[in-house]
Amino acid sequence: MSLSSLALAYVSDLVRRETAMLYPPEKGYLVESRLQPLAAEAGLSLEAYVGRVRRDAGEQARVVDALTINETSWFRDNTPFRALATGIVPGLLEHRAERHVRVWSAACSSGQEPYSIAMTLKEHLPHDWTAEIWASDVSPTMVARVAEARYGQVEMNRGLPATSLVKYFTRAGSDWEVVPELREMVRPQVVNLVRELPPLPTFDVVMLRNVLIYFDLEVRRQVLHRVRATLAPDGYLVLGSSETAMDLGPEWVRETCGRLQLHRPACTTSDLLSAKQSAAAHDPTLTATGS
Amino acid sequence: MHALIIDDSRAMRLILRRILAGLGFGATEAANGREALDLLEVGLHPDLCLVDWNMPVMDGYDFVSEVRKVREWRDITLMMVTTESEHAQIVKALAAGAHEYVIKPFTAEAIADKLELLGLVQDGALA
Amino acid sequence: MILAMNGEQALVAASPKPTDVRKLTQEVWGTFLGEHGPLEVGTDLGFAPDWSASVSVKGEWNGVVALEMTTSGAQRLTRSMLGLETSEELVDGDLVDAIGEMVNMIGGNVKGLVRGPCRLSLPLVAAGRFAHGSGQREVVRLGCTWAAEPLAITVHAGRPAKSLTTRPLEAR
Repeated sequence: MSLSSLALAYVSDLVRRETAMLYPPEKGYLVESRLQPLAAEAGLSLEAYVGRVRRDAGEQARVVDALTINETSWFRDNTPFRALATGIVPGLLEHRAERHVRVWSAACSSGQEPYSIAMTLKEHLPHDWTAEIWASDVSPTMVARVAEARYGQVEMNRGLPATSLVKYFTRAGSDWEVVPELREMVRPQVVNLVRELPPLPTFDVVMLRNVLIYFDLEVRRQVLHRVRATLAPDGYLVLGSSETAMDLGPEWVRETCGRLQLHRPACTTSDLLSAKQSAAAHDPTLTATGS
Repeated sequence: MHALIIDDSRAMRLILRRILAGLGFGATEAANGREALDLLEVGLHPDLCLVDWNMPVMDGYDFVSEVRKVREWRDITLMMVTTESEHAQIVKALAAGAHEYVIKPFTAEAIADKLELLGLVQDGALA
Repeated sequence: MILAMNGEQALVAASPKPTDVRKLTQEVWGTFLGEHGPLEVGTDLGFAPDWSASVSVKGEWNGVVALEMTTSGAQRLTRSMLGLETSEELVDGDLVDAIGEMVNMIGGNVKGLVRGPCRLSLPLVAAGRFAHGSGQREVVRLGCTWAAEPLAITVHAGRPAKSLTTRPLEAR
């Protein structure tokens, strides 16, 4: 039934090499549960399947896929949504005279991220404020799912607090459907980040999570450059938890909000320097940054 | 961390026990609400109870209501793990004092996600 | 006659739809038993079941959800749920518990499909084919194959027979 520690170490090394994602020994059961369907399909035991993977580059790619291309969860990693609620929104409340917030979920998969953003904003923006969340993905299938806004039971269980389920979802056959008040906030659209971007508004926050890890350095630089052009000068870029330590180059400055590392556009070299000085001189919480 | 798994199905208790072990929890099992209450009354004090709804003798809803009456048990986190999937049932369980609610079927990740929300496992205990 | 037909049509209209039952059954199956491949639906082999597990739903909608399996299919399901090797001994109690829990999960989710409030019974597991009440009508039948074993999931709508007079009389 279970994998030997040697086989586990091989699989976690493989995944780390390909994606930088970490699967330490204590997550062995997770590796097993993800590989189980692949092994069954090959008609092999788990251990024998990993033996085949060692010799077969095609199977290696499938293993990496199974361990990375994950069904996404609600409020994935939690920290970014806590930071949105407690750090980013209070800052925007002070600096957005139009009482409107624009967020871009730039690799939204089946939509859990944009709807989690919508729930967070609904709870933390004053009632007379409005918000729009652009939800894009490279896959038209995924974007269609965002527009459909229906989720199966298994998807609903992933990270969605029961109180939010009760508040923002209704039953629709065997699925659950997002309530209209959240759906009205979300704008699904197909966008390939690797190409020229379609016309987009200026965003206060861009969530670009767990995407850059799949690109080489040059593509990464191009994508970040395009994203920067859509971001307000005092906006925030939120990366995935394994991506925050990346060196994004001189166009960005890093900032800390609670336990979350954020990035903000750096305007010029001198701006960058003064931003660093003021960050050092002042309390480094987000509400204090208003340059 | 220690959990009390309350479900009338031995297979389900085993599935939950395995998932919890992967998250660093020890576990005790009870086959219905009454058995679970008896364990609490003789001094078992788990950090978490995973509670099925439909069980013989005493169901999970009554168990949650009973636990919530006792002051010394207020720090015990109660999470329903049940096939009851109507909106109204979830509202009812939360109102009775359940902290979280997982609908069967669930994956290991779903349990981990919920325990993370409840602050019982570290952020990113699972990928 | 016409009234009775309309009543039947109303019964079907108020009952769960096959596509929804199929979807949730596949979710339940895939989550706990995915290691032996997906549940294939639409293969009615007309097999002779050795075991049947059922839960009834009572309230605004009345009906019963049943799972019928062969002994080898039920053993496979039980081993898979319990994480046992094929060599390890199974007792009937394990099997009854495992298929009972499966029908409980399917039945609870079926209950979520109908207009409430309704109550779900505890699972009932019996040897042989599932016997529905005389007043109940089959509204969903999913013939399935899983791990090369046939199985069936059915939903019957309507109240169970109020009295058991017919059977004991026949027995006499």
